[in-house]
Amino acid sequence: MNFTYSEDQLTYRDTVAALLSCEVTADSIRARWTSAQGIDANLTQQLADMGLNALLVPESCGGLGLSELDFILLAQECGRVALPEPLVENAMAATAMLSEVASSDLAAANQCQDTLKQIATGNASVACGHWINPYVNMADTSHWLLLPHGDEVHLVSTQTVDLIAQRSSDPSRRISKVNWQPSRGTKIAGGQQGAELWRSALNRGALGVAAQLIGLAESILRRAVVFTTDREQFGRPVGANQAVKHLLADCAVSLEFAKPVIARAAYAVANSPTRADWAVSHAKVAASYAALLTVRHGMQVHGAMGYTWECDLQIWMKRCWAIDKTWGDVGFHKNRIHEWLLNPNALMGAEHTFDKSGSPSDESNSQQGAG
Amino acid sequence: MKLDFSPKDELFRQEIASWLASNLCGEFDVIRGRGGPGDQHMFIDERKAWEQKLYQGGWTCIGWPPEYGGRDASIEEQVIFNEEYARAQGPGRAGHIGETLVGPTLIAFGNQDQKDRYLPEILRGEAFWCQGYSEPGAGSDLANVKTGAQFDDATQQWFISGQKVWTSLARESDYCFVIARTDAKSVGHHGLGFFLVPIDQTGVTIRPIEQLTGTSEFNEVFFDDAQCSVEDIVGEPGDGWKVAMGLLGFERGISTLGQQMLFQNELDEIITLAKTNGSAKNPQIRQRIAEAHIGLRIMRFNSMRVLSSEGADGSLQKESMIYKLYWSSWHRNLGKLAMDVMGAESEVLKGGPYQLNRLQSMYLFSRADTIYGGTNQIQRNLIAERALGMPREPRG
Ligand SMILES: Cc1cc2nc3c(=O)[nH]c(=O)nc-3n(C[C@H](O)[C@H](O)[C@H](O)COP(=O)(O)OP(=O)(O)OC[C@H]3O[C@@H](n4cnc5c(N)ncnc54)[C@H](O)[C@@H]3O)c2cc1C
Repeated sequence: MNFTYSEDQLTYRDTVAALLSCEVTADSIRARWTSAQGIDANLTQQLADMGLNALLVPESCGGLGLSELDFILLAQECGRVALPEPLVENAMAATAMLSEVASSDLAAANQCQDTLKQIATGNASVACGHWINPYVNMADTSHWLLLPHGDEVHLVSTQTVDLIAQRSSDPSRRISKVNWQPSRGTKIAGGQQGAELWRSALNRGALGVAAQLIGLAESILRRAVVFTTDREQFGRPVGANQAVKHLLADCAVSLEFAKPVIARAAYAVANSPTRADWAVSHAKVAASYAALLTVRHGMQVHGAMGYTWECDLQIWMKRCWAIDKTWGDVGFHKNRIHEWLLNPNALMGAEHTFDKSGSPSDESNSQQGAG
Repeated sequence: MKLDFSPKDELFRQEIASWLASNLCGEFDVIRGRGGPGDQHMFIDERKAWEQKLYQGGWTCIGWPPEYGGRDASIEEQVIFNEEYARAQGPGRAGHIGETLVGPTLIAFGNQDQKDRYLPEILRGEAFWCQGYSEPGAGSDLANVKTGAQFDDATQQWFISGQKVWTSLARESDYCFVIARTDAKSVGHHGLGFFLVPIDQTGVTIRPIEQLTGTSEFNEVFFDDAQCSVEDIVGEPGDGWKVAMGLLGFERGISTLGQQMLFQNELDEIITLAKTNGSAKNPQIRQRIAEAHIGLRIMRFNSMRVLSSEGADGSLQKESMIYKLYWSSWHRNLGKLAMDVMGAESEVLKGGPYQLNRLQSMYLFSRADTIYGGTNQIQRNLIAERALGMPREPRG
């Protein structure tokens, strides 16, 4: 057993983190809020050049052929800078879904391979309109959309759909509802295979959110530490008070405890995807709890300043609030956990704490739409 | 102990309910349910006109003594008034600060001339007030105010200079009550004065601060030799802290009842939504709704207990210290519950550029509840040190 990341994984993360911290600043994010498309096209290309869009794409299709375990480290960094570009959700959910089809025996495999090659070079992008989410983020800047019709998976050109734009409470997000008509020509999978594709997309999507939440929250925590060190009341930094310090210490504790849960879930998704539901749900719940706690306390220790539009804290807070409810809210994920715990066949007891497959034998408990 | 309303109380209930039914309509339809927390700056003209309507019906300042135009309403009557007001979706009271904070403070600490000049305007719904306490360097450490007041013998005026911040509703107000240093060499809570300052004058500049809600209820207020007449200091120079703290005591008094009724309306809205969007099927949501209901009842019983043991001079018992911490934490959790009940829809705004729906706006505003009027941390310090008598923390 080894819970640490490899040297390579950490180096790649540091490279990405360095780029992101230069290119994505609070000011540049605020500039996106008032721009037409809400994304920085240069940065999007740079990220594609680094292979990030196609990180999970097999090498045969021009991707890096890496795994979810590699990606969560990067997702965390994207969260840390509150990256508005939909890199994580597109790469983790949509592109990975295409990869699954591309390496299957489905008729659409060839078509998906071609699309993936374009994605790998940054010439195309695909977003996922999963049934769990009522809205798709940045659908208008994606060339393709993966959309559900029952269990069927359709790959649809964005030009052929109606996007009903909505305003998000996080001005960095550009969400819309998708009105569209399924046709034989757009269908790339169906039946049991389709259901499995949606299911693994949900797990990867939720995992991506969990990892981003950790990065977002760590940024908030860092800001809170800096603020409470600088801000003085009663002749000393407000952070000198235990009441303030302990709030932030609690955030650090819950964030650190959420990290191995996310790593464990990524491992399950990468190595036994059909058995990953419970692990992903645990990760989403743990990350959500830690992140929302950090938002609450981070804002509290800022005093009235944290309630202003001017204070950059809102960029991170609003992202946490918004994405917390995507890819299944806490209620949905807790339901998935207790469904397998309370399943009559659940493998309970100390001997199963570190059980190798890490999930109950009965897979029928992880259907869609629970909760 | 007597926990029921008397037949006389019930008559009073009928009286206010029927008055509201026949008056909160027509031109006032637009303000039903508006102007609550997070929405306080909206429909301000209509809500000011509504205050005057209330006055004509004899429904402003009902708890004040009759000599100042009040009804000397009993606790029961004030509870009933607030219940019926909320039931009728009465708008957030534009005259709230005047009626519940300034009025009682002037009655307790003001001189006859000040009562004669200011109380009638508040009563008639013609003068509106804001609170000038906080400064950039004086938040939790309120006694660190730097705004200065200098007396000019020649003109018999005080000249006030300095900066206040987070001043809610300053642009909608006629007066600001300001704590300022009358003794430039003083520090801490000594050497302060409590001033009643007219806002509409060249020495006062107001700059709105945009909140994360995209609206601006609060402001920066700059005083640059702002004038305040010799008659408009409450108490003596040096009494400012005593008066300022007295005012905060009233904040925890009767005004809590109206607030609870607003909370009840919010909780009802959340419950209705949970039933319609199906989230009420989720056992976690059901439990939290029950907890919210329980917390609200606890607050109500506690307020009534505290108010019925109120000292003869209107001063509150130690029990009142626990209130701010409890309601603010409760309300912050209610905000979270609202978002969780809304689920994925909680992110969707009503419109551009940043138009929040009621529950979204309540959610964001409730994040500030644990900050203004003494943060949760400061409240806990007060409870531990003042109510329990524990050793004081070092304060710099
Ligand atoms: C929506 C809103 C409306 C407001 N309206 C008004 C108004 O109308 N008039 C007005 O005068 N003011 C108003 N305020 C200001 C409010 O009273 C202050 O924000 C509050 O007193 C806290 O001060 P601060 O914001 O400077 O935070 P700070 O005092 O800087 O506190 C920052 C953090 O440090 C903590 N802290 C500070 N000192 C201690 C300590 N000794 N022990 C433990 N923890 C400590 C605080 O709890 C907080 O978490 C408003 C604020 C808000 C948010």
